[in-house]
Amino acid sequence: MEHESVPLYWRNIPSYYRLVAKRCRKCGEVYYPPAVKCPKCGSAELEDFQLPHEGELVEFTVLRSVPTDFLKQKPLVIGLVKLGPVKVLGQIVDAAPEKLKAGQKMEVVFRRVVVDGKYGLVMYGYKFRPRP
Amino acid sequence: MQDVWVNGTAMMQTGRHYNLNIDEMAARVLDEALKDAGYPELDALFVASATAEQADKQQMLGAYIASRLGLDKIATYRVENADGSGGSALMAAAMAVRSGLYNCVAVVGVDKPNDVLSNQQQDIYSTATDSVYERYFGVTPAAQAALMAKMYLAKYEYKYEDLALWPVLMHKYGASNPYAYIRKQAKVEDVLDSELVSDPLRLYDVGPMADGAAAAVLCSRKGVAKVLGMWSSTNAVPFNARQEYDVLYSAREAAERAYRMAGVTPRDVATAEVHDSYSILGVLAVEALGLAPRGGLLASLRSGAEVRVNLSGGLKSRGNVMGATGVYQAVEVVWQLIGRGPFKRVDGSIGVVHSMGGVDRTSTVVVLGL
Ligand SMILES: [Zn+2]
Repeated sequence: MEHESVPLYWRNIPSYYRLVAKRCRKCGEVYYPPAVKCPKCGSAELEDFQLPHEGELVEFTVLRSVPTDFLKQKPLVIGLVKLGPVKVLGQIVDAAPEKLKAGQKMEVVFRRVVVDGKYGLVMYGYKFRPRP
Repeated sequence: MQDVWVNGTAMMQTGRHYNLNIDEMAARVLDEALKDAGYPELDALFVASATAEQADKQQMLGAYIASRLGLDKIATYRVENADGSGGSALMAAAMAVRSGLYNCVAVVGVDKPNDVLSNQQQDIYSTATDSVYERYFGVTPAAQAALMAKMYLAKYEYKYEDLALWPVLMHKYGASNPYAYIRKQAKVEDVLDSELVSDPLRLYDVGPMADGAAAAVLCSRKGVAKVLGMWSSTNAVPFNARQEYDVLYSAREAAERAYRMAGVTPRDVATAEVHDSYSILGVLAVEALGLAPRGGLLASLRSGAEVRVNLSGGLKSRGNVMGATGVYQAVEVVWQLIGRGPFKRVDGSIGVVHSMGGVDRTSTVVVLGL
């Protein structure tokens, strides 16, 4: 993809940098991606909720056919990681896929995600890696 | 409320149509379907396309398709639900006739994913995932389908070799469909030897992107097949937050409601076309439609039972015509019910179309009958 917009990136920084989810003040349910209204109880009173940065691997796959932004990094290891009350989908790095196992301990790391061309934005975000 | 009948149908062979523009392709099949219907007075045109803006840089596609045929003073509507656009447009068109507002409408599905390179196709297809929380990180529908495949195979204690039976079946059916993109038989070994796309899914598990266009004319007056029931459903749970990964919630809901509206049960279904953009999703769709017990389809394929689903060859063999797919499926089911063209008449009078956008994001199920 070329020319990602600055505001599109900028406004999602709380999610990309800090994994900020939403928690329902009424029923306590946590949503990631952040919900606008609680699907469980209907309350619109949602507060920011910081997801823990450690969790465990639910499942993963090694993706070899990737979009143009990720050609240099292929293959991508895409995994579902349970962080506290929710699961998060994202890239797994610093890991040999053949050694990954469902249930193993994982941690969140901060990494470069997309570089938009020669003079464009450098965009960052969370990735996951096995806990040493 | 008015009855909704299919009065005319047409489709072109799927493939790489480098010599045709997107509106030109759509106009050709639309004119053929109108001819098949006896050129009724058309009130509106519903267009299904998933890639027109991104691959062909064209908005307002309906107006340009209409202008190629001189179809003046009609309403045009564009329906977009990624690769489920076709089913959604079909349902919107049927609703418009059912409501009594229009007497005759046309639905045309068209897409030209091969107007861009295959990596760019991945870019476009990825926009069917959540752009901020999935696509941004490189997640594609293939990766999501792969995760579902891994969890399905583990839960029901299948091996990948069992899943490979789906593409083999699709190739068998597609080999005799002259409209299909890939018309050759395949063996389990071919599937196993093909390259990994996202483990456990291999190249043979992926419906290849094909250019194509299909059209149907729906009227309140009697035609060759009737729309007996239809329903569309969204699965609002994000992929990461799903409770279960071995069920298509959107397809299950749409199917239950469409069957109820039609007054039929899965036992009545003589033929079905389901959205197998990835082989695992075809398997899950058959189960969601109640045509096999949950977790049971691969066991029946393994035992050699005859599974008569996707007689067209499915997305695997006919091709993934993106937004046009659902319209192709409708034309295929009609032709199977009446025994037209290359399709032998099926034993029964009820056929079902399952059209899905993304990986269980939206599904439309339409029940057609004679
Ligand atoms: Zn709540």
